[in-house]
Amino acid sequence: MKKFEILEHKADLKIRAFGRTKEELFLNMLFGMAENQKAEIKSKKKIRRKIKIKSLDFPALLVDFLSEALYLGQVNKEIYFNAKFAKFTEIGIEGELIGQKVKRFGEDIKAVTHHDLDIRQKKDRTWGATVLFDI
Amino acid sequence: MITKQNFKKITDYLWEIPKSFRPDMRVPARAYVSEKMLEESFKDKSLEQIVNVSTLPGIQKYALGMPDMHEGYASPIGGVAAINPKEGVISPGVCGYDINCGMRLLKSEHSEKEIKPRLEDLATEIQKEIPSGLGRGRKIKLDISQINKILEQGTHVLLKQGYGENEDVEDCEASGKLDWADASTVSNHAKNRGRGQVGTLGSGNHFLEIQRVEEIFDEKVAENFGLFKDQIVLMIHTGSRGLGHQVCTDYLRTMIPAMYRYKIKVPDREFACVPFNSPEGQTYFAAMAAAANYAWANRYMIAHYIRKAWKRILGERERLELLYDVAHNIIKKEKYVINEKETEVIVHRKGATRAFPPGHPEIPEKYREVGQPVLIPGSMGTASYVLVGQKEGEKAFYSTCHGAGRTMSRRAAVRKISGHRVVRELESKGIIIKCWSMRGIAEEAPMAYKNVDEVVEVVHKAGLSKKVAKLVPSAVIKGE
Repeated sequence: MKKFEILEHKADLKIRAFGRTKEELFLNMLFGMAENQKAEIKSKKKIRRKIKIKSLDFPALLVDFLSEALYLGQVNKEIYFNAKFAKFTEIGIEGELIGQKVKRFGEDIKAVTHHDLDIRQKKDRTWGATVLFDI
Repeated sequence: MITKQNFKKITDYLWEIPKSFRPDMRVPARAYVSEKMLEESFKDKSLEQIVNVSTLPGIQKYALGMPDMHEGYASPIGGVAAINPKEGVISPGVCGYDINCGMRLLKSEHSEKEIKPRLEDLATEIQKEIPSGLGRGRKIKLDISQINKILEQGTHVLLKQGYGENEDVEDCEASGKLDWADASTVSNHAKNRGRGQVGTLGSGNHFLEIQRVEEIFDEKVAENFGLFKDQIVLMIHTGSRGLGHQVCTDYLRTMIPAMYRYKIKVPDREFACVPFNSPEGQTYFAAMAAAANYAWANRYMIAHYIRKAWKRILGERERLELLYDVAHNIIKKEKYVINEKETEVIVHRKGATRAFPPGHPEIPEKYREVGQPVLIPGSMGTASYVLVGQKEGEKAFYSTCHGAGRTMSRRAAVRKISGHRVVRELESKGIIIKCWSMRGIAEEAPMAYKNVDEVVEVVHKAGLSKKVAKLVPSAVIKGE
């Protein structure tokens, strides 16, 4: 299954991600965001960052999860291509982000927006989501 | 769907969608555009987004679109809304993520002829001195207490610390300090993002340019502003960096559930808003002001580092004087006569520049006779403008355009033109370009933007602000 694709947008970055489950959808959107930060990796050593997120609803959870990864990545100069969820509900996540140290980011993703956010289960029971990132 | 038939032509440069267009509109939606620009505007959702702005509780007179408007998140870039604080709302989405993204212009004492032999050295030195912040950042990270001081005191604390001169504070919008800012309303996430970014440029359309005054349109005002033909000036375009973005992210997270509690319905979650006088509204207003102070401090420190580079190349006695610094993403309280009564409104400007007229008490005394300087950047390699605020601008809540406005996506620009070709084309015009990323150059190619000359012509002819000088780039310094 394709993890994500980039959609056309005039000013910003629009990613559509896919997943067989909700968890996989979140992981693939995280992967899509990380790929598009075009980072120069400093060290291949794996880094783990604990996260705990509580949100209003499922769409907000996706935005809050990605925003937290973006924040941690920017302040620690790290990039997270993967995550492990110890707990995953419609409104909460506990777990850890898995990534690497970064020398520089080639793309400055500044924020994860709610604009035109779309997250849904398709007829074939797989999941899809579209998120617009401010760059 | 909006079509030309839905518009009423008010003047050649002002078009209106009446309140009757959609039942949820509270006021008409107005666009300051030429007929040609209006037709172009149907290609994206910006007009629909102005109509959405007109539905905000408490909005006064009109929802406004400037000629450089383009589709944004919820509300368009190039949008203005004045909202009555008693019955109305405040909305982070109608300010934007990059709180107090804005412009600062420094004037040299030299003509282009005098600077040309050292131009390459100056551009190289400035690029070395001012990091983008994406890779190489500032070596010194400020601690949280230093960030708190910047959030509450803006440029004033930097002046006290020995950076800059009195004029650098006096000749800045709001003197670079909104006094209702409260650092305690800004999250640690935002403060942490801001620790290493004071004095950094960022990426995207942000830039530093060494420019030449190509044309003077108004001798009297230009003289007041200290501008002369062929003069070399330096333009800074950046904002509140990661800190401002985090403030917007944080408050959308607070406001989306709060908005449901206040039973406010909006067409898109990015429009999240709460009553201005609610605890959530007041807290955001204080945090937005703190982020705005941070942005002024950022541009102030960039100017400091530019001066350092300038002196290193040209000598210690060289001076770069500030003309003005003005925001184009901000929310402020201002007073206007509405229904024959002076009324305080909360003016939301997202991709729109404040342009106060002659005599306005909120502009520096030295400019009061002629009006507030307005700084409009062009796209990379094209002209920028200095304009001045006009009395006629009152109908647009003393707001004008903020730049050229994108017409093409970044990906489309990269597909159409290579960074190397953009550099060659700029170099063939005698423009030096310094950038860490060729992809970044392609994304910002002039072809991806509206024609800034046409945008400025509209605001000039519509009376929102008057042309004073046209600036053309001699050297462009970009982040990634």
